Amino acid sequence: MIDSEGFRARAQILSAVRTWFSQHGYLEVQTPALVPSPAMEEYLYPLAAGDRFLRTSPEFALKRLVAAGMPRIYEIGPCFRGRETGPWHATEFTMLEWYRVGASLPDLMDEVEALVAAAAQAVGVPCPGPWRRVTVRELFLEHTGVDLAHADAQSLSPEDDGWDDAFFRRWVHDIEPTLTHPTLVSDWPASQAALAQIRDDGPWPIACRFEAYLKGVELANAFLELTETAEQRRRFMSANAARALAGEAPHPMDETFIRAVGQMPRTAGIAMGLDRLVAAVCGWDSIAPGRL
Amino acid sequence: MYQTSDIRKGLKVEIDGKPYTIVEFLFVKPGKGQAFTRTKLKNLLNGNVLDRTFKTGETLPRADIEEFQMQFLYSDGEAYHCMNMETYDQVAVQAETVGNASKWLVEEMMVDVLFYKGNPVTVQLPNFVTLEITYCEPGMKGNTAQGATKPATLSTGATVNVPLFVENNTWIKIDTRTGDYVERVKK
Repeated sequence: MIDSEGFRARAQILSAVRTWFSQHGYLEVQTPALVPSPAMEEYLYPLAAGDRFLRTSPEFALKRLVAAGMPRIYEIGPCFRGRETGPWHATEFTMLEWYRVGASLPDLMDEVEALVAAAAQAVGVPCPGPWRRVTVRELFLEHTGVDLAHADAQSLSPEDDGWDDAFFRRWVHDIEPTLTHPTLVSDWPASQAALAQIRDDGPWPIACRFEAYLKGVELANAFLELTETAEQRRRFMSANAARALAGEAPHPMDETFIRAVGQMPRTAGIAMGLDRLVAAVCGWDSIAPGRL
Repeated sequence: MYQTSDIRKGLKVEIDGKPYTIVEFLFVKPGKGQAFTRTKLKNLLNGNVLDRTFKTGETLPRADIEEFQMQFLYSDGEAYHCMNMETYDQVAVQAETVGNASKWLVEEMMVDVLFYKGNPVTVQLPNFVTLEITYCEPGMKGNTAQGATKPATLSTGATVNVPLFVENNTWIKIDTRTGDYVERVKK
């Protein structure tokens, strides 16, 4: 059944988001959905389209623009991920992604809070909050008693052999369902850095990342962006190696992108599921309303 | 064996040697990790509910569960005897397995019997059954006061609350899930 109210709410939020970015000095850009080389992460399954791929996010293209001297940009557009379906997943979905040169992760946290408030105002619902800011390690201590800085895979979850799988099983089972209050979760395990910087001056090595949760749903994922060419190349190679081990075909490496990474100034970037933003703000129990 | 992609409501799986049915499930995919399916399962033997999370690629053993529609024949006090009307197989279901359902059971009623590893483990009644009132105080004509009720004894020995206007020897419809009177039925 097509629900015109869902489309109306989505349009109101889209308009409020564009206004918010325009007021904060961001330039809206559009980059190709059809790309020569997809995201490299092991657990993303890009769809092939002819001799190219449908993008899983606009990250590579937007970082090339940042490297070329565009300090505040955002894009709203379709992205595609295979093997993801459910009330909060769709193969084709809309990503809202933005980059801000010189920003820190707390700066982006402030922006997430302000943007969600603007979206709530656009549809006339109470503004979600106050937001809790907490680290992954604190959440694990709170809900499982496990200290991630010292826990091996066995003590996290005996049925998993890999540390990351063990971590995510506990995350999905014990932590995520508790995040019903708006929460910004930072300092993820270094093994899950993807394209974020890694810091190793504390009790354990962490990726400079945060995720935003609204109504128990992962809404956005932010990075302090990696800006070293050699490290970027090494991470792509290791992702391809993991993919080969899992019996998947390696992806071509985007050399234009790898070169651009080395030319980027210090930048923070964030990707937000726009369908999820609309659904969570409106209090829906899936991303289905306002979509076909 | 089932795959995580087979997970749906009502799927019967075996966990730690016990049969469960899936009552809720949600696909979850952490941004940087493997996909999982979070489930809520109900133990088919004792009704206890369990939360389990399965990683994509894991398999779930199928529970050896079979369900047959059978006719209730008679009770000998210890067991309730039912017959499969297609195969004419008969089974004796222990009274403790039948539990509260016995309140609404009358001979020739069709019931769903769930078998685990060949043994009957639950007897599921139709949502609505029609039974005769064998005793209640005389009806009060014209008394349609909302909510006013009186106890009535049924042919099975069970007692239900019925509105004041309902007469003795009337057939009534009962919701077996709640044990509530629904309406009078012409028989």
